[in-house]
Amino acid sequence: MILVALLLAPLLASGLTGLLRGRRAMEAIHLVSAATMFGLSVELAAQVLREGGVSWGDGFLHADHFSALVAVLTAFVYLVSAPYAVGYFRHDVAGHAFEQNGAGPPAEKKLLQYYVLAPLFGFSMFLVVLANNLGVMWVAVEGTTLASIFLVTFYGRPTSLEAAWKYAMIGSVGLSMALFGTILTYYSAYQVSGVETLSALNWSTLANSAAQFDKNVMQLAFILVLLGYGTKAGLAPMHTWKPDAYGEAPVPAAVLMAAAMLNCAIYALARFYVLAVHCLGPSFPSRLLILFGLLSMAVAVPFILVQRSHRRLLAYSSIDHGGIMVLGLGFGGALGALGMLLHMTFHSITKPLLFFCSGNAQQHLGTDSLKKNPGGLIHSLPVSAPMFLLAALAVTGTPPFSLFQSEFTILRAGFAGRHTGAAILFVAFLVAIFCGFFFHIAHLVLGPANGRPRGEDSRWKSYPVLGLAFVVIVLGFWLPAPLFALVEGAARVLEVRP
Amino acid sequence: MFFWQDPQFGDKMITLMAALILVLQIIMVAQHWLVTIIRVFAAQSFLLACIAATIAYFNDAPHIYAVAVLTLLLKAIILPVVLTRLLARVDIRREVEPFINMPISIIISGMLTLMAYVVAESFQRPDEAAGAASLGHNTLAVAISLFLIGFFMMTNRRKALTQVLALLSLENGVFLAAISLTYGVPLVVELGIFFDLLIAVLVLAILVYRIRATFDSMDVSRLSRLRG
Repeated sequence: MILVALLLAPLLASGLTGLLRGRRAMEAIHLVSAATMFGLSVELAAQVLREGGVSWGDGFLHADHFSALVAVLTAFVYLVSAPYAVGYFRHDVAGHAFEQNGAGPPAEKKLLQYYVLAPLFGFSMFLVVLANNLGVMWVAVEGTTLASIFLVTFYGRPTSLEAAWKYAMIGSVGLSMALFGTILTYYSAYQVSGVETLSALNWSTLANSAAQFDKNVMQLAFILVLLGYGTKAGLAPMHTWKPDAYGEAPVPAAVLMAAAMLNCAIYALARFYVLAVHCLGPSFPSRLLILFGLLSMAVAVPFILVQRSHRRLLAYSSIDHGGIMVLGLGFGGALGALGMLLHMTFHSITKPLLFFCSGNAQQHLGTDSLKKNPGGLIHSLPVSAPMFLLAALAVTGTPPFSLFQSEFTILRAGFAGRHTGAAILFVAFLVAIFCGFFFHIAHLVLGPANGRPRGEDSRWKSYPVLGLAFVVIVLGFWLPAPLFALVEGAARVLEVRP
Repeated sequence: MFFWQDPQFGDKMITLMAALILVLQIIMVAQHWLVTIIRVFAAQSFLLACIAATIAYFNDAPHIYAVAVLTLLLKAIILPVVLTRLLARVDIRREVEPFINMPISIIISGMLTLMAYVVAESFQRPDEAAGAASLGHNTLAVAISLFLIGFFMMTNRRKALTQVLALLSLENGVFLAAISLTYGVPLVVELGIFFDLLIAVLVLAILVYRIRATFDSMDVSRLSRLRG
């Protein structure tokens, strides 16, 4: 029942928003529904920890530790982005940001667009993790793309159309590859079981019989799925849509895409990875994942070093982190899966902070350019600017922040799995990315005051920053036991025994 | 036994229709006129629905009839109508010269087809003379060719609308693989895929229209301001 409730809550929120339409009402529904979803997902996680798994409708919806973890993370990102969205869009409305050349749709209509689409986006993400059937999971992943296209075109600038077009086309081609892979997986299962029922595509069924699948078919299927869901996760070389889409979407939507949708894509990939390992043994899928992981990190390095816009900088950081997660999964063993899941958890908590600070800086300066600004942001943004620096340190994996722990775990998994070369490259890329990031953000934040008026105009925009910064700092020193139990349980789902 | 009860005959019909689908795909690659490309896509989808119906008939799989009807309605009628109306609204009839010219495009399509046959060959196992695998052999090769040629066409064309059509034909390839390999995926999933496809085309149609209105052109090679 809890599974259905978690799916119904965003749908209800979207429908109610569409009916009521007042600005206050839309904001209230958005906040209440975000809190409800988070509550429901925590309750789901608690049930999964108690009972080991929750099913509904004859296994149509199923949550194990892995699904519960990703659901909680999705709901968390949604929860923190909700109050920020209120403040961010109020600022936009006050600054007439929606009006291009004096004309354009009324602000209420734009707000309606966000507050209706964001819950639908959330719904598809919850469906990705709760659907047991791999076909339904694909439908939901495609749903996340469709729900978010008009979030990318939100500002209606020519560049946002360009970004949305790339996102839609690259995403759709990628997902048709994933669909092809899903069908081939189904074909190999069909040859084993010979029955055609809905449950034949259920992951829990497939995971048990995967060892007998046709190896040729499964190999091709895994390559296609990796390319497909890899496109969705923004792994290089299919990452080109990402900086455009993240740079053009309004910050609350970009947060949902960068911190929550990334997890969902990696989630889908990891499910197939487990099937592929059961069928083919660990070496073939792992090698592919390590290759794509390292490639994504390598591609991110030069673009981070010479970046001109801090919004796009964050997108490259997201490509880098997607690469790290895939790399952790590829290193395999007990540590690899654990490191990847810890990284996913910490990343989903740290990334929104970075995006909020970047959004506050962008709205304050009126541009996201790193070249045109004279620095000294710390004097006009006394809350967001220092937190921006803190978030940049946290997201590049500086100790004592939690991402250091997960990256270190992944590094250990690399050495334990005798992937020495890959592990050394991993460290080299991390260092390069740290340098680039720190250079750009420090340049933006520090420096003498240059007479800009004091920003930090809205509590809606600064309180999420402060709250999240608190969580990030605490998490560096203390990981709550139930959360770690959930991560450990999820690692057992993904663990590959040689 | 009449010929319409003979599974051999069914196999031959399916192979014939699959071959026609491939021919239509190559015609699409060689076509300048947008209206014609839409019609070719509709014809291709119609043949796809026929293949689904034939498989349903010869394998006593009634749920595939539903898939056939859905394909017919959605891909052969609704989507072409939506796209034709979009075409009338954006008022562009002809594709500009693609990045690679037509004769070379056709040669490339031929090579992609060869490649698809090589890939599909690896699925063929000698011990299985009959059943889904033997049926799958030819059609799977065609499906993979559709996928590859659709992919090539997407990268080769400049107009936003042609890219949408290429995407749809690529999707047709995936669909052909689904019905020929496994007699279709479970109906719930199939419905979900159709729903997604419908929404995707509507969303893309709105995007195409807005790109046309904003850039005064549908040429996506002009969408090149975001870099680095």
